[in-house]
Amino acid sequence: MTAFTRKNADKPPMLIYDKVRKKYGNFTALDGVSLNVNAGEVVCLIGPSGSGKSTLLRCTNALETLDGGEISFESRPLPKTEPEMRKVRQRMGMVFQSFELFPHKTALENVAMGLTTVRKMGAEEAHKRATALLTKVGLADKTANYPANLSGGQQQRVAIARALAMEPHVMLFDEPTSALDPETVGEVLSVMRTLADEGMTMVVVTHEMSFARRVANWVVVFERGQLLEEGPPQQIFEAPTAERTREFLSHLGWNG
Amino acid sequence: MDFDFSPLLGSWRFLAAGLWLTVLLSITAVIASFVFGLAVALGRLYGPAWLKAVLVFYIDSMRAIPVFVVLVWIYFAVPIISGYTFAPFWAALTGITIHVAAYVAEVIRAGLTSIRKGQIQAGLAIGMSNSQILRHILLPQAIVRMLPAFGSIISVTIKDTAIAAVIAVPELMRQAETLAGQSYRPIEIFTTVMVIYFLIIFPVTRLVDRFYTRVAHLGRS
Ligand SMILES: Nc1ncnc2c1ncn2[C@@H]1O[C@H](COP(=O)(O)OP(=O)(O)O)[C@@H](O)[C@H]1O
Ligand SMILES: [Mg+2]
Repeated sequence: MTAFTRKNADKPPMLIYDKVRKKYGNFTALDGVSLNVNAGEVVCLIGPSGSGKSTLLRCTNALETLDGGEISFESRPLPKTEPEMRKVRQRMGMVFQSFELFPHKTALENVAMGLTTVRKMGAEEAHKRATALLTKVGLADKTANYPANLSGGQQQRVAIARALAMEPHVMLFDEPTSALDPETVGEVLSVMRTLADEGMTMVVVTHEMSFARRVANWVVVFERGQLLEEGPPQQIFEAPTAERTREFLSHLGWNG
Repeated sequence: MDFDFSPLLGSWRFLAAGLWLTVLLSITAVIASFVFGLAVALGRLYGPAWLKAVLVFYIDSMRAIPVFVVLVWIYFAVPIISGYTFAPFWAALTGITIHVAAYVAEVIRAGLTSIRKGQIQAGLAIGMSNSQILRHILLPQAIVRMLPAFGSIISVTIKDTAIAAVIAVPELMRQAETLAGQSYRPIEIFTTVMVIYFLIIFPVTRLVDRFYTRVAHLGRS
C-alpha cells in the first residue's frame, strides 16, 4: 500500500477516540473503538445497521456516557459536568436521521432557537443570522414555514442550518438522507458537499456510497461495535483489505 | 301542565348575578388548576423522590375522592382543624382547584412523556439546558397535544362550580335554588339554568376542538 497522508495530519486531530466502549445492559455497542478525525476532514462511517455508528456519534457529543476509553475534542477530553458539556456541544453540530425539527417553530425560529436561548442573542440579530443560513441552504423563501409544511429534504436542510447557527467546529451527521424520498436526497447531499468544500470538519454516518466515495477524505467501516477497517475512499471502495468490507459493499450493490 | 316563566322576568338580575359568579369561579378555577397542575406535573416528573411520592399520593387521593366531599371538607373541617375560616367563594375555588389540578397534572405529565427522545437530543445538541428544553421544546408541544384533554377538563371544571351551591356560594345553581323555592316554579327555573350551562360549556369545548385541529401540527414531532 502506498503511503497516504491524511488531511492536516501535521496538526493535532480534532477528535480522538481512544478505545471507546459503550454498553447497553449486557450488550456491547462499542467495543474499543480507536479513531482520529483531523480538522477539515470528511470522515464517513459505514457499516451494517446495528454496528454502533449512531452510538459513536451520540457518544461524541455526550448524549451518551462512555463505559470505557476516552474521547478528546480539540485536544481536551470531553468534560464530565453538564454545564461544561453544554459549552462543548455548541462547538459540535448534529444532524439526525429523523430531522428532529421543533414542530411548533417556523424554519426561521428553528434555526434561531440556539442563538436566542443558549446565546441569549436578541431576536432581531438572531433572525438575521438565521435568514442568512436558510439562504445558504437554499431555503430563503421558506423562512416562515412550519416543519409540517416542508418536504423531508427541506426539513433536513433547515436542521443543517440550525446546527450551523451555533458556528460549530465539527458537524456530526447521522444518516441524514436515510429518511428522505429519493428525489430529495440530492439537495441535502449537495448542501453537505458545499460544507465540505468550505473546509468544515464532518463525521458522516451514511449508506450513500457514492457520496462517501466522492466527498470523504477517510472512510471507516464498522462491524459489531468495532472498526473493521479504515482508509482513504479509494482503498476502501476499490481494494478493501477485509473480506467483510467487500461483502458489505456488495450487499449495498456497490461494484466499484 | 302550564308553564310560567314570569318569576324569571322579575328576577333575572338575581340569576344574572349568579351567572357572573359562576363565570368568575370557572375562570379563576381553570387558571389556578392549570398553574397548580403544571407545578405538580413538573414535581412528579423531575422532583426528588420524596416529592414524587407525596404528589403521587395527592393525585391518587383526588382521583378517589368526590370533588363534593373535598369542597365540603375544606369549608367545614379545615376551620375546625386550623382555626382558619374560608369565605365560601375561596373555599369553593380552593376545593375545585386542588381537585381539578390533579387531573391537569396527569394530562400534562402524559403530554410531556409522549414527546419523543429525539426532540430532547436535538435541544441538547445545540447546547440547550434541560430547563430550556422543557420550556421551549417540550411544554409547548405537550400543551398542543393535550388541548382536547384540556377542553374536557375545562368543561368538567365549569360543571363542578355548581357544587359550590352547597356551601352557599351565590353562583348560578344556588341562585336558581333560592328562586325556585320562592316562586314554586322549579321546572321553569331549572330548565333555564340547564340551558344556560349548556350555552356556556358547549361553545367552549367546541372552540377548543376547533382551535386544536388548526394547531395540531405544532405538536407533532
Ligand atoms: N438506547 C439503547 N438501548 C439499548 N440498546 C441500544 C440503544 N441504542 C442502541 N442500541 C443497540 O446498540 C447497537 C448499535 O446501535 P446503533 O449505534 O444505533 O447502530 P447503527 O447506527 O450502526 O445502526 C444496536 O444493536 C442497538 O440495538
Ligand atoms: Mg444508526
